[in-house]
Amino acid sequence: MKRHGVVAALVDALSSLKLTIVCLVLLILIVIGGTIAQVPLGIHAAVESIIRSFFVWWGPADAGWKIPVFPGGGLVGAVLLVNLIFAQFRRLELSWKKGGLWFIHLGLALLFIGEFATAMFQVESAMPLEVGQTRSYSEDYRRVEVAVVDDSGKDFDDVFSIPDSLLRPGKTISAPGLPFSLKVHAYHVNANLGMRSPSDPPGPATVGVGARMTFEPAPPVTADNEIDSSVALIEPVLPGGESMGVYLLSNALGAPQGFLREGRHWSLSLRKRRYYHPFSVTLKEFRHDVYPGTDIPKNFSSLVRLKDARSGDDRDALIYMNAPLRHAGLTLYQASFGKNDTLSVLQVVRNPSWTWPYAACLLVAFGLLWHFYLSLRRSFSGGAP
Amino acid sequence: MKLLLLALTVALCACRQEEVTRTRVPKEEGEAPPMASFPALPAAAPASVRLRWTVPTGWMETSGTGMRVATITPPGPGKAEVTVVALPGDSGGELENANRWRGQIGLGPTDATGLAASRAAIRTKLGPASTYSFSAGGSRLVAAVVSYRGVSWFIKLMGQEDAVKRAEPGFRALLESVAGPAT
Repeated sequence: MKRHGVVAALVDALSSLKLTIVCLVLLILIVIGGTIAQVPLGIHAAVESIIRSFFVWWGPADAGWKIPVFPGGGLVGAVLLVNLIFAQFRRLELSWKKGGLWFIHLGLALLFIGEFATAMFQVESAMPLEVGQTRSYSEDYRRVEVAVVDDSGKDFDDVFSIPDSLLRPGKTISAPGLPFSLKVHAYHVNANLGMRSPSDPPGPATVGVGARMTFEPAPPVTADNEIDSSVALIEPVLPGGESMGVYLLSNALGAPQGFLREGRHWSLSLRKRRYYHPFSVTLKEFRHDVYPGTDIPKNFSSLVRLKDARSGDDRDALIYMNAPLRHAGLTLYQASFGKNDTLSVLQVVRNPSWTWPYAACLLVAFGLLWHFYLSLRRSFSGGAP
Repeated sequence: MKLLLLALTVALCACRQEEVTRTRVPKEEGEAPPMASFPALPAAAPASVRLRWTVPTGWMETSGTGMRVATITPPGPGKAEVTVVALPGDSGGELENANRWRGQIGLGPTDATGLAASRAAIRTKLGPASTYSFSAGGSRLVAAVVSYRGVSWFIKLMGQEDAVKRAEPGFRALLESVAGPAT
């Protein structure tokens, strides 16, 4: 009986309107806090640490610890979703008269779940293209990877991509088909790079251009128009234990470094994370239209040629504001431009749940129409409102 | 129960481990243009001190990025490639550079005596220079450093041993043609 009492109290709490109000107030505070935090953190970090996190963490600048100081948007959204579900089943009778409210709640629940799915599964990247250039990959400007490439082939490269999440100091990385393993000595999200002077002590890198460079770890950049200069110290080790030296890799270094082994050339680089696609995009024309007599932008558009051997697509597509190209589960938006209007940057988004908000809005709209129709009918027939 | 399953699914998805991926991709046309400027890097040679050379007939030159000034590919079967990199100063000196090249084909470091055995003289249009040759594990590397107005130009032929040996006469002619910037 006591257990049932506890469960009943929990169900009461989870389905209470007070909890709904508290959650809505918290969401308002989170949105305000997230907006203000964009100034010191930048948009991406503010969204990740406040809006999409379960807790907002804080700790002294140089301390190695942090404590949760406020619920994050993820936690409040999850509680609100649970609250909505409990209230739905607890209070609403399953009848035609309440059908509209059922649809409205179902739509709201789908909206919450859709946001969770977006937060977890959406992948954003960018595809910069100069006029005439063709690309079959896009790049993530907030993440990096170590690319180990066997570029000995005439027409094709064999690319092994190691995401930054695996670059933990002391870890040894191996992969099927890779004839050596990679020992990670260090990884820094951001660092200041410079040339080694004769008075500098020997650095950790022993081969490649990195052996002549120094680096100093630095805090990650926060401005949205800046990119971290990440640094990784990587040592290729042959199966017999023979070391190929320690390489300093950085996305701030232009050309990849590498070595030859048994007639195969292996290049090593740390670069923006790449997502290879089964299709190619060629930029045929970029337009930056302005209103006559002014510099005020009127339209940005990219005319591209899409080729996909798998689907048989070989066609032109015009990408402009609010008119993206959707192909192979990806959406390509017009995002930016540069180089005197000869460079167009397309944002490439993979979001498996992109249709969910539309479905949620339709459900809510349908529910509202249903509910108002019944109320109106009751009103005209002289029934109680 | 359903909520528990949902929570477990969310937790498992959130903790999914990324893996090394392997992709076979066509050779690239060129590097993606940068979207934002990187912090100051060691300056490569400015245009005013850019060296010139004559590419042997049939060889293909493409401009490089970052510190790499150019990539030159000889014709024929096998993998071999000439890279031209410009760096300020002497960039470590002769022995350090030679040991860095040795490391690129899996050789351990050598000393001044060992280095002398791999050194050969060559004459560019800017004056005398040295070439250094190393072979190991089916790979070969021939490199030269030309210093001009405080900038070291590293000109290196590297690749499969057979391909490099075939390309060496052309590479030597390329080195001999190295001259100062056009006036």
